[in-house]
Amino acid sequence: MADLLEIQGLTKHFPVRRGVLRRQIGTVQAVTDVSFTLKRDETLAIVGESGCGKSTLGRAILRLLEPSAGTIRLGGEDVTSLDRRALRAARKRMQIIFQDPYGSLNPRMTVREALSEPLLLHGMATPATIRGEVDRLITMCGLSAWHAERYPHEFSGGQRQRVGIARALATRPSLIVCDEPVSALDVSVQAQIVNLLQDLQRELGLAYVFISHDLGVVRHIANRVAVMYLGRIVEEAQTDQLYGNPRHPYTRALLAAAPRADPATARHKPPIEGGTPSAMALPSGCAFHPRCPLAIERCRTERPEIRAVDRNRVACHRADEPVTGTLDQAPGQGSPALLRRLAILERRRAAG
Amino acid sequence: MTTMDVRNAALVDQAPARRSWWKALLADRGAMLALLVLTLIVLAAVFAPLLAPFDPNANSRAVMQPPAWSERGNWQHILGTDGQGRDILSRILYGTRLTLLIALVAIGIGGVIGSGLGLLSSMYPRLDPWVMRLNDMMLSFPAILLGLAMVAVFGPGVWPIILALAVASIPDCARIARSIGIGVMSQEYIEAGRAVGLTDWTIFRKYLLRNSISSIMIFLSLRFGQVILIGAALSFLGLGARPPASELGMMAAQGRDFLLFAPHIVAVPSVAIFIIVLCANVTGDALRDVLDPRLKS
Repeated sequence: MADLLEIQGLTKHFPVRRGVLRRQIGTVQAVTDVSFTLKRDETLAIVGESGCGKSTLGRAILRLLEPSAGTIRLGGEDVTSLDRRALRAARKRMQIIFQDPYGSLNPRMTVREALSEPLLLHGMATPATIRGEVDRLITMCGLSAWHAERYPHEFSGGQRQRVGIARALATRPSLIVCDEPVSALDVSVQAQIVNLLQDLQRELGLAYVFISHDLGVVRHIANRVAVMYLGRIVEEAQTDQLYGNPRHPYTRALLAAAPRADPATARHKPPIEGGTPSAMALPSGCAFHPRCPLAIERCRTERPEIRAVDRNRVACHRADEPVTGTLDQAPGQGSPALLRRLAILERRRAAG
Repeated sequence: MTTMDVRNAALVDQAPARRSWWKALLADRGAMLALLVLTLIVLAAVFAPLLAPFDPNANSRAVMQPPAWSERGNWQHILGTDGQGRDILSRILYGTRLTLLIALVAIGIGGVIGSGLGLLSSMYPRLDPWVMRLNDMMLSFPAILLGLAMVAVFGPGVWPIILALAVASIPDCARIARSIGIGVMSQEYIEAGRAVGLTDWTIFRKYLLRNSISSIMIFLSLRFGQVILIGAALSFLGLGARPPASELGMMAAQGRDFLLFAPHIVAVPSVAIFIIVLCANVTGDALRDVLDPRLKS
């Protein structure tokens, strides 16, 4: 099947200006030269620590932030070249679910108004059919029709996130960028929302770009995972391969740093040391070399291009070498409570 | 049994009752009192010709007569008479009418233009420096100076004063609206609106304006009191309404020569200004409380 989404060399740099004359004194390289593809029914997770450019990438894909360079093709159409009017029309096919269910709903609009808006705007309903359409949408996301008459502040976090999902689904998009959709929710609600997203994907054939820092949730929902460090993808692999056999030292460190199910499994030492360098002054060569336990002279001078290693893609000079003992492999299972919840919901779904 | 009932109640899938905003307003006694007084004042101002016991400009022989409840007063002139023997109650009614009119029109014009500019500048960062520099220029003209300039150009009268007050209100309104607007524009729901594909105009109307309007209205209701005060001050300086028309600030000005012998001539219009400004502020505050859905619980 043809790829639904093709990202080629996507870059977003923010100029930093100071002073009365607004002179540019630097550039924040939030996202640099990111490429990947995504099929229908597929979930690609983007993981990485705070400030690595995950959210910027998600917004640049939807052109909520104007990319500095690169192309985005959605269903074969070049989204990057659309003018304002055409872009507004194209929003029907690509949507976003936000992290903060408290901030992403207009507090002055009832749920019905909020859900009617995209439906009417993109001609998915007429004023005559809008009532039923909203009711259908809201029940599909696990709320009741009477919830539609309420304001966002009358809901819990999980309910609001369902409203956010309903709004994203309203125009029947083919692509949804989920920007940390469960990070603001507590564990029991996380499981419900993750399951809702999976059910909807199965029913509607959605493609997700799932931005998260929670490796447990990612392992559960994603088909493929892309690891970002300082604006670049450093490794992209099938989920089980990434967790089972991470090739990039940063991926290994990330997995090792994930919370463990069993506190008894002692950690030898902090997997990597030091803080993330500023995105305004990136290190020479490989951006990870100052913190990398495997760094050699070549890493300091030459930036590793992302290349195929086995069936995956890695940006590391030493990816082909056998794994040394410097970093212990971690399961990256995520919180045991979450896994339990997910298992329960899985059984319930299987039971019908 | 009880636990069963509770459980069954929770299973019934229906909307619980919700308190409407006007019921919340009714419950706020201080606000209701202020609103009541304000309504009475507005009604009195509107129906001044019917309510006034005397012609506000008719002189009588009873000059500087104190109010009815003091020793030398009588019930014919309830609030006494001024230095020219005019009935103060009648003049207060007509004066309130003119004062409210001037303040309302001025705040209306200044509020719409100022908040419009402020919100636009919060929505379009490219516009922002230009609007704000213009604003700084306007801020450096005091309202009194503007009033003088208007009077110099158009001659004394009500309209130059309204214009001066409106222009003087624009920079403050723009500044407040801009800061409120920037707060709203930074919210994620603005981005959500853009992600849905809304036009800028819809985002302005249904997102930015709807979320800023109550805060702006609070500011305007506070500003309303200030405008009344500045308007009164301009009239006090003789820049406003031309005599014999009555205006509260002008009445206070006319009474200041007799302050030691007949303090009520200054006190009555001053108290009237005080009550109007106080009620406007209290009502504005209460309206904010009940209209903001986030404060409702």
